[in-house]
Amino acid sequence: MSKNTTPPEGYEVQREQMLDFKVPEQLLKVLDEDGRSDAKNFILTTVDEVFNWARLSSIWPVTFGLACCAIEMMATSATRYDIDRFGAGAFRATPRQADLMIVSGTVTAKMATRLKLIYDQMPEPKWVIAMGSCAIGGGPYFKYGYHVVKGVDFLVPVDVYVPGCPPRPEVLLEGLMRLQDKIRGRKGKFVTPKWITDYAKKIPYRK
Amino acid sequence: MDQKEIYELLVEKLGAAALGFNDEGVEAYADVEPGRVAEACLFMRDDERLQFNQLMCLSGVDWDGFDENGKGKSVKILGYTDEGQPETSDHISEGDFGVVYSLYSHSQKHKFTLRVRTPRTTAAVPTVSGIWSTAAWHEREAWDLLGINFEGHEDLRRILLEEHWEGHPLRKDYQMPAQWDTVPLNGQAYSENPFPTPDKPAGDDPAEG
Repeated sequence: MSKNTTPPEGYEVQREQMLDFKVPEQLLKVLDEDGRSDAKNFILTTVDEVFNWARLSSIWPVTFGLACCAIEMMATSATRYDIDRFGAGAFRATPRQADLMIVSGTVTAKMATRLKLIYDQMPEPKWVIAMGSCAIGGGPYFKYGYHVVKGVDFLVPVDVYVPGCPPRPEVLLEGLMRLQDKIRGRKGKFVTPKWITDYAKKIPYRK
Repeated sequence: MDQKEIYELLVEKLGAAALGFNDEGVEAYADVEPGRVAEACLFMRDDERLQFNQLMCLSGVDWDGFDENGKGKSVKILGYTDEGQPETSDHISEGDFGVVYSLYSHSQKHKFTLRVRTPRTTAAVPTVSGIWSTAAWHEREAWDLLGINFEGHEDLRRILLEEHWEGHPLRKDYQMPAQWDTVPLNGQAYSENPFPTPDKPAGDDPAEG
């Protein structure tokens, strides 16, 4: 695993320039309300949309439960909440047939190598939902958990974080729908409110 | 049988190796000499008046900060700082290790608790895995997490942590690891392109959202 923790030289200046980048007015004219451009090739855009629609309508999660969050994941897939309504009910017993990994529970150091192996065995495109406090940032094991990875995003890239301890099934379904939005490609549609990003910056661990 | 009577039988058997008895707390317990605990356990299992046929639990204790009478103040346990870095301390642990045996007799319907204390430097107690086979895993756990060496144990290796883990985590002077093997326990979120630039934009990298 490669971990780049040192930014390249002059990176901050470049980053500021990038953040200050304004969309040219000519381009703005051809953007629709979803932020997509009509200037793209017509056929390719449509094919992309069809592919995305197919992918988001039939997300197959891998059968992978680590701790108590897995009980909520099972409840989500059971009759009362029925994750199959969103097309994500086919829990596969092998990562080679799955394209979503719901990391439901505490990731211990001993499990981390196995988790990485399962993720690597999944075919592209693949997505990860970090479910619950432990998978997001260590949770109650943050202070004295000598054996706990403080967030599964040190191991694999995470698409959607679902908070809770454990999250209720409704919250997992909400996370699944946000993942479907992400697959659909509407990045500009759901903007995180500023007060949330400001608050997130104050949390010391997530600088 | 009454707890006091059980202790009197124990004194009869062990003599001076039975160090003391206390029934003021929730559970009565007897302190015995660590070197003779296996002998005491075998006696308590096989004696017809006692018949302790079950070892309910075997626990390891780190008595750092407490004196021989159990008086003192608990020391601070090292954890991680808010930034996720391991805490350090100058404190050097000197307290004893202890092992607690909780016994139960199905036929006589009575309980008893044995305690031993062993110096931190040697940390050696004879095994009771030959007396109650359930003790084999309990002793492996006590060795895994506290480093108490059970002499005579046939298969004394780690049971919960990975076999090449360094140190014994429930010791009070254990320092938390920042990284274990190839697994980072804290650090920066995983990203293929952690520093996106106009030339190399974030693209589909989910860590960049």
